[in-house]
Amino acid sequence: MQRWMIDGIGAAVVIAVLSAVPLVAGSNYLVVVLTVALCNAMWAASWDFMSGLTGRENFGHALFIGSGAYTAGFLNTSFGLNPWWSLPSAPIVAVLFSLVIGIPTLRLRGPYFALAMLSGATVMQSLTIIFSEVTGGQDGLNGIFPILDSETAYYYLTLAIAVLTVVLLKIIALSPWGTILRAIRGDEATCQAAGINVSFYKITALMISAAFAGLGGALYAHALLQVGPDLFAVVLSINTIILVYIGGMGTIYGPAGAALIFGLLIEKLRFLSEYRLWVYTLILIVILFFLPKGLVAPAWAWLRQRLAGRRPEKRAEDAVA
Amino acid sequence: MSALLEVSQVTKRFGGLTAVKDVSFALEPGEITGILGPNGAGKTTLFNLLTGFIPADTGSIVFDGQSVRGLKPFRIVNLGLARTFQLTRPFIGMTVIENVVVGCLAPRVRRDGPTESRARLMLTRVGLGPKADLLVDVLSYGDLRRLEIARALVTRPKLLLLDEPFAGLGTSEIEPLAALIRELHDSEGLTILIIEHRLREFMQLVGRVIAMDFGEVIAVGPSKEIVRHPRVVEAYIGRTESSRGVA
Repeated sequence: MQRWMIDGIGAAVVIAVLSAVPLVAGSNYLVVVLTVALCNAMWAASWDFMSGLTGRENFGHALFIGSGAYTAGFLNTSFGLNPWWSLPSAPIVAVLFSLVIGIPTLRLRGPYFALAMLSGATVMQSLTIIFSEVTGGQDGLNGIFPILDSETAYYYLTLAIAVLTVVLLKIIALSPWGTILRAIRGDEATCQAAGINVSFYKITALMISAAFAGLGGALYAHALLQVGPDLFAVVLSINTIILVYIGGMGTIYGPAGAALIFGLLIEKLRFLSEYRLWVYTLILIVILFFLPKGLVAPAWAWLRQRLAGRRPEKRAEDAVA
Repeated sequence: MSALLEVSQVTKRFGGLTAVKDVSFALEPGEITGILGPNGAGKTTLFNLLTGFIPADTGSIVFDGQSVRGLKPFRIVNLGLARTFQLTRPFIGMTVIENVVVGCLAPRVRRDGPTESRARLMLTRVGLGPKADLLVDVLSYGDLRRLEIARALVTRPKLLLLDEPFAGLGTSEIEPLAALIRELHDSEGLTILIIEHRLREFMQLVGRVIAMDFGEVIAVGPSKEIVRHPRVVEAYIGRTESSRGVA
């Protein structure tokens, strides 16, 4: 069987299982947990698209997530717009933030981009607390309307958007555009010598990354019907990066898979009560220590070889990390 | 015929050091010209100035009738002036062919047809055809040099700048690479500017030599005359140990 056929069947199985969850789940609780996990999947996949492919680490992905989520919140609570408006508006606002940070810093070499993203998210988190009359401060914005009344229906909407996001980002990553982004990771000067406008590709990659992170933020806001300053927090950015490492950097689908698996895992560990985060963190450390290329994408690459009945071949895509 | 590249009075200072001083020369289409000089003479800095990697302080650089001083490196490549690096820096983690495909995606040649087949054709031409699908990480030094040349050539340059293509290569690798460069010149009249400090490889390849020392052009002329030029001999024997090639 061809590589792409196996990949297609694998994706179809995952989508089928995710679609079946509301049918077999006893409660709506699992459905909401998975809705949030799908938002995390969009955040991880979009981080991977920019930073996994080009190697320019973004330590403030929460800037895009939070700006998307607050856009949804403001449109809904302050302006009383129909909640559907959140879906086109949140990506636009997130892209504006990406231009403010990306245009000045991605043209430079050095750590400026990573630092600007980190401080951008932190500044926004502080601003939400300082301007508490508008933003609700620590309490955030409450009483956001749901986009769809049924939690199950909203889960399917989120699932559809998350699947489209991952597929679209993966298609771009496999296109000549993605080849250029991976070349930027390799060496920027050589890219220039090959006639490639490196700044243009880095900035547009960040814009695409921001758009999907912001969209995921808006979906998250309408899932929990509440947004708070934590959506700009450093810990959210770091969590996203950890999911990308566990998933397999530069693979797009790996980080998305990791977000789903670990989104469920942390819920399943709830019986451990206060030890839950300890155990979760321990699992993460063990994975990162023993599997530097991640877990999800390498596991799938191994399985694919088995299904294809061929000897493992070393592919460039799998060697990026 | 008008000159393909016209450099006049280009100067570059790094702090108190003048790396390139008042350099002027012109290249006619179709010639292979060498830049000769001991280490530190400013050869690579001159290349970086011509290709936009370092901005010039003063002077003018006109390529194909257009001023390229102050343009970004990728814009200069898209005008038809390509280069290789002395220290090859391939895209690690990608295959050999992907490394060349990136060059095929430059706006200048983007619409020339399927990138993959163009890249494969070029790899065959430089003798890397059988290695096209390997990861670039496993290539030998000599193969990396060929890859650099292939990546530059797919942008269809009018002028190719080669920065010490033979550095670090063994004798068995130098001859085929020199033959490749000669063939590129003979078959399509590609204009080539080549940096080298080893005279033996030079003599056979280049028609005309620009000799540099301490950032200045000290002599210009046919290669056979240049090696006997008193200032060139002084630059090599007078101060450096790399005089082996002159004898």
